[in-house]
Amino acid sequence: MSDDMTATMIRSNQRFALRGLVPWLVFAAVLLILPFIFTDGFSFTLMNAIGINIVFALSYNMLLGQGGMLSFGHAVFFGLGSYAAMHAMIAIDDASYAGEGFWAHVPVVAMPLIGMIGGGLVALVLGWPFCRRAGTAFAMITLGLGEMIAAAGQMFPSVFGGEAGIYGNRMVGPQWFGLELAQAADVYWFIAFWTFAGVLAMWAFTRTPLGRLSNAVRDNADRLQFIGYQPRNIRFLVFIASGSFGGLAGGMAAVNYEIITPESLGLIPSGLALLMAAVGGLGVFYGPIVGAVLVTLMNSLLSDYSDASILYVGLIFLSIVMFAPRGLGGGIEHVRTAYREGILARRLPGWIGGAAAVLLIALGLIIVIEMMFAGHGGGDTVNVFGIQFQAGGATGWLAGVVALVVGVLVMRATRKNREVNA
Amino acid sequence: MLKPVRTLVTASLLLAGSAVSAAETVKLALIDPLTGPMAAAGQPAFEHLKLEAERINANGGLNGAKLEIVGLDNKVNPQESLVQLQKAINDGVQLVTQGNGSSVASALITSVEKHNRRNPGKEVLYLNYAAVDPAFTNERCSYWHFRFDANADMKMNALTNYIANNEDIHKVYLINQDYSFGHAVSKSAQEMLKQKRPDIEIVGNDFHPLAKVKDFTPYVSKIQASGADAVISGNWGQDITLLVKAAAEFGLKAPFYTYYGASSGVVTQLGDKGVDRIYQINEYYGDFEDPEMAKRQVEMYEKTNWDFYYLRLSTMLDMLKAAADKAGSTDPKDLAKALEGLSIETPTGEVTMRAEDHQIQLPMFISVMKDGMKYGAEGTDYNFHKVAEIARDDVTLPTTCRMRRPN
Repeated sequence: MSDDMTATMIRSNQRFALRGLVPWLVFAAVLLILPFIFTDGFSFTLMNAIGINIVFALSYNMLLGQGGMLSFGHAVFFGLGSYAAMHAMIAIDDASYAGEGFWAHVPVVAMPLIGMIGGGLVALVLGWPFCRRAGTAFAMITLGLGEMIAAAGQMFPSVFGGEAGIYGNRMVGPQWFGLELAQAADVYWFIAFWTFAGVLAMWAFTRTPLGRLSNAVRDNADRLQFIGYQPRNIRFLVFIASGSFGGLAGGMAAVNYEIITPESLGLIPSGLALLMAAVGGLGVFYGPIVGAVLVTLMNSLLSDYSDASILYVGLIFLSIVMFAPRGLGGGIEHVRTAYREGILARRLPGWIGGAAAVLLIALGLIIVIEMMFAGHGGGDTVNVFGIQFQAGGATGWLAGVVALVVGVLVMRATRKNREVNA
Repeated sequence: MLKPVRTLVTASLLLAGSAVSAAETVKLALIDPLTGPMAAAGQPAFEHLKLEAERINANGGLNGAKLEIVGLDNKVNPQESLVQLQKAINDGVQLVTQGNGSSVASALITSVEKHNRRNPGKEVLYLNYAAVDPAFTNERCSYWHFRFDANADMKMNALTNYIANNEDIHKVYLINQDYSFGHAVSKSAQEMLKQKRPDIEIVGNDFHPLAKVKDFTPYVSKIQASGADAVISGNWGQDITLLVKAAAEFGLKAPFYTYYGASSGVVTQLGDKGVDRIYQINEYYGDFEDPEMAKRQVEMYEKTNWDFYYLRLSTMLDMLKAAADKAGSTDPKDLAKALEGLSIETPTGEVTMRAEDHQIQLPMFISVMKDGMKYGAEGTDYNFHKVAEIARDDVTLPTTCRMRRPN
């Protein structure tokens, strides 16, 4: 390789590094601007929940998306990290009451670090025997681990607080940066900081040799062994890193909710991590962020509009796994690649047609599902996006079926557009 | 050009303003599972509250204000409940109620307590209708929490008082779910029985995994072998249904004294197998004699397809109305003050909200499942028939609460 070429490479690398800064600046700007757009208490509560879930989903994707390890027990690290942070917060409360001791000098804003240490330690202690195999064996073991820890959580009330859980107060200990942490709006800045730091650290992890090796162990573990790396060691290190970041999210949750119960160790929150990562896209770094935003909003808002909310969450998951396995992030990446290659204009009609078809099919499905729910649950009228239908009336069923059929027709009509240009 | 628009906006704002002042509404938010697998616990409460709110409003509302029930789905998750609580507060709700899950109740108590301390003037009241952890009205009591259900220890107190007077019972078997609540039930049963009837022998004390056992036959055969003549269980959900079903199929004669034997779905699933076998300790029973009550019971089933199970929700709204009328206000601070020590007459007798710990004091009933009832539960012919009434003084327990009242 000539010196000239090396120089060009370095220069292009520098340009690349500068361009790489742009998404981070945008991310920071969004975090800074959001509280000025959404100013009411509930928006802050939602944004805080989203921030926690972003870190949780990304830490899960370190295992599944980057390391190829399907885990059904990731909430164990989230939950135990959260318990560690909560116990520390209680210690701060006690120590600052007495006015002395180590904990009296620890600020509550550092609790995510305690959670991170907690989650990492748990992964360190438990992880070694699990990481020998990936795939089904790993999935089964983590499933068992999750259930075991969740059951233990109910059985040792002195540590886990029994069904009622343990709770603390975040307005104790030394205050940093004038953050009183009284209102959700105060907590937002705490969450925003740790979300940014967590995302940045996890992205940095993908750039380390270990991060690269975790991709290699996902793609071909045998070949990795031939070039002298132990897949088990790589998996173990990734497992610890992922557990640590899961614990970080748990520490954020401890401060935000000020309560932690054994339920948060169980299968349901573990499933939530998988759901968020898969909806957002496993193959793209920012995929789980998109997934976390969408799934958190659906969880907290959808049930206001429909009794079938859980069914919709399930349908979205199902359709993404079946028809768009690369998730929402994969879709965004598709458009971006096309734009960079200058073929966006050529491909756009097909995509818009596809999107219109998906929207029509979704509308038809929503009408049909709502009509079915109204039939069994009592209401007289069905309201779908402001349009009223008589429950059990023919118009509603007709509208649903028409939307479905038109959606399928649009899908077929525009299929050519998508294929020809591919 | 803009002027007509502006007048229109002003006019509509004025209209909206006058509409609010003409019929002031007070919102009560139910934070409970309304979708998903646990919806069968939250939906009947939601329907019950809505039906009873109509009655309250027809009788003049809360000090003239209209009561409106808002349902918020929490999926029995403590964290999600806090998100929903914030949503309620944001919408101007100052009264919240919840019942399913002591984990959720625990989160709500601490969160409401902190909210009220951090936001003076925007206080929120938490009315608990079914979370029975005794701690909530003892060491963890809060001024902003009122419990309208007997706590787990009071239920056990009533139940053991009944057993103590029943000379036929000599051997008792305890079977409970293996988690904090099941252990608490087992512990208080042992202590209270030992104190009231030292001659009763506890012949077994089993814990089984929570909501995991599909076949209870091994447990039932252990009960049979022990020679027990009564079984006490705090089980709920599928754990009580499957337990009693297994006992019936095995031919076990011993009756089951339960906390939640009449919760929704149990009667339909058990059918004939539950008759004369499953007893319940509750503030209410199915074949209530009061004709007014019977009318409401039938009305509720016809309108909503859910049974009139939560008499305490009616009591809660009646007490809320009495407190609002007494205080001449619907402000949570005034309501809390008026609720303390408030007594009202209910179809089961007089009930009082004890001022020291905000725990309701009420008479309770032991009832047993029977066939061929006039008002069947869940559209069947089965329902719970009164066996004994436990007077209020035999239900009550002292409290360790040291209430911190705002000045």
